[in-house]
Amino acid sequence: MPTGAAIVWACLKAEGIDTVFGYPGGAVIPLYDALDGSGIRHILTRHEQGAVFAAEGWARARGKAGVAIATSGPGATNLVTGIADARMDSVPLVCITGQVRSNLIGTDAFQETDIFGLTLPLTKWSRLVRTTEEIPDVLRQAFAIAEGGRPGPVLVDIPADLLKATVEVPVPGKYVPSRPAAGANASFPSAALQALLQSAKKPVALVGAGVKLAGAKDVLNQLLDRLNIPTTATVHGLGAVQKEAPYFMGMVGMHGTRASNTALHETDLLFVFGARLDDRVTGDPARFAPDARIVHFEIDPSQLDRVRRGELAVVGDLNDTLPQFVQSLDGFAVPDFSAWRTVACGPERAALGTGTNTALPAIRFLDELFARMPEQSYIVTDVGQHQMWAAQRFNSNFPFGFITSGGLGSMGFGLPAAIGVQLAQPERKVLCVSGDGGVQMNVQELATAKRFNLPVKLLIVDNKYLGMVRQWQQLFYDRNYAETDLSDNPDFVMLAQAYGIKGRRLGIDPTTETGLPANTGDVLNDFLSSPEPELLVFECPPEANVFPMVPSGAALSEMLLEEK
Amino acid sequence: MYRFRLRYLNSQGTLMRILMTVTRRGLDLSYVQAEPAGDAYQVTLLVEAPVKQMLQMCRDWRVIVDVLEVEQPVEVRNLEEALANLAALPSSGAERAAAVN
Repeated sequence: MPTGAAIVWACLKAEGIDTVFGYPGGAVIPLYDALDGSGIRHILTRHEQGAVFAAEGWARARGKAGVAIATSGPGATNLVTGIADARMDSVPLVCITGQVRSNLIGTDAFQETDIFGLTLPLTKWSRLVRTTEEIPDVLRQAFAIAEGGRPGPVLVDIPADLLKATVEVPVPGKYVPSRPAAGANASFPSAALQALLQSAKKPVALVGAGVKLAGAKDVLNQLLDRLNIPTTATVHGLGAVQKEAPYFMGMVGMHGTRASNTALHETDLLFVFGARLDDRVTGDPARFAPDARIVHFEIDPSQLDRVRRGELAVVGDLNDTLPQFVQSLDGFAVPDFSAWRTVACGPERAALGTGTNTALPAIRFLDELFARMPEQSYIVTDVGQHQMWAAQRFNSNFPFGFITSGGLGSMGFGLPAAIGVQLAQPERKVLCVSGDGGVQMNVQELATAKRFNLPVKLLIVDNKYLGMVRQWQQLFYDRNYAETDLSDNPDFVMLAQAYGIKGRRLGIDPTTETGLPANTGDVLNDFLSSPEPELLVFECPPEANVFPMVPSGAALSEMLLEEK
Repeated sequence: MYRFRLRYLNSQGTLMRILMTVTRRGLDLSYVQAEPAGDAYQVTLLVEAPVKQMLQMCRDWRVIVDVLEVEQPVEVRNLEEALANLAALPSSGAERAAAVN
């Protein structure tokens, strides 16, 4: 008879999982004991947070639930940041944690933590398994819930004794949701949408990650071509709108383009397609799109009217509702918005607004690097200034080509997530853009990249500061750079070498027109072409800033375009 | 103050997720009663909340996996009135107990 542990692996296999990420410990030894022969590849990271971020990267690149495994107590608590991250960014994730033996639960046993209770507000669903027999049903339910509707993280906590126990393998029952998917519109509001379009003078479309998660990029672009209205995207919506479209204004939000933020402030009709409208997108919610009626296409009803009350909500999978929108325009004469489009997308507003600030070498460097990436490649970022520069310069039509921790903003995400992406898409080029602060939060995962010889390319934009915090301190706290100085960083090239990974360094060259050394192109070509992990440090001016910037709590129209 | 009533399956964590929807907003739960209701459970909550948060909570509850139904919230003037009205209406649990007896 199989053990509970063997049943876990069999269930994962049955769900189509070929790769999991984890870190062994006392409560999950039985699980690891049964790994051999399961047909599943286990990626040993060097920290549980590395495992959960790698599982997130894998999930984002594969479009299936990623699996992270940790032991009880500290192993489980180290997953928490990744679980919160997956919740915010709608990433399907199944976390499996070992728990102390059933008869020790509640006794404050060694490495006992109530991880079920700890993660209740973060998970979409969770279970503390009470019998070995229920493992198949619980795991089937876990995957169905993680991947269904608006995707998210789930947690399954299994006491060690249940992993060791042997039972007859029950046939898992089909998962039946306790109620139908919430609140899809009974009938599509074609007439209302047409009336709103007819009365609008300055319509704008805002595209979020929901479009990509639904696999609705093509139909979205079909719709946008038909509407032909100024269009912007959130950081997670990047890649969903064709970059060549004359109506596309780039990214919106705190570090969005001048064109996008200005148009959102002026619009009188805002279509939101699969975006949460979080505060990094809206600026001051009370002054967000102040004159707009909002039409919100969204799968998750809990996201409606959260920031601003909408005029119309179209609830459902965008793969269903967007085709209905396209169909509803058959025979309808979409008003001509060309005059508004010319203003909103015109050259005057198109300038990024980087002004004369010292970020230009970093921006030019990223342009040089991104131009060398194949079209269907992945750029994974950490969190901070480099993340926003990368988002601003991202220039690909590959819908999943930009992967970042957007909602939670978890420093340390980049490197392990890039490892997960590379394992999910081994044939694709994967570039991790990190900062000198963020990379040190999970730098131990260089060992994982080396162990599996993954050709992940790690770029560290090194300004020897916690750059984004320093920028806020400069602009809003009178240059009081309290505890953001990282000038005593380790030598990252030597650090990479210690992990057996080649590293090199490039700085700015003030004697050239671009500010970049003459050999930049050769270095980048060599960096990207090697079939193994490699590190490149780009030494960035310490006080380079990200512009435009909407100060926290300000309206989008109050963006700063350059340093004063 | 609003009175909320939700039907839910009494699966692990569902009631806690319902309550955390309130507590994460720093709102005080003046009254909570959870009880069997037919083949499921129901919980009655009295919460002092601004209208915007009241609506947000209703939407959040509707997407919790095993929440079956969220009744329209009822505005009540104060706790005393709310408790008096609750006492006047036999709860589902009391109805069931009466039926058994």
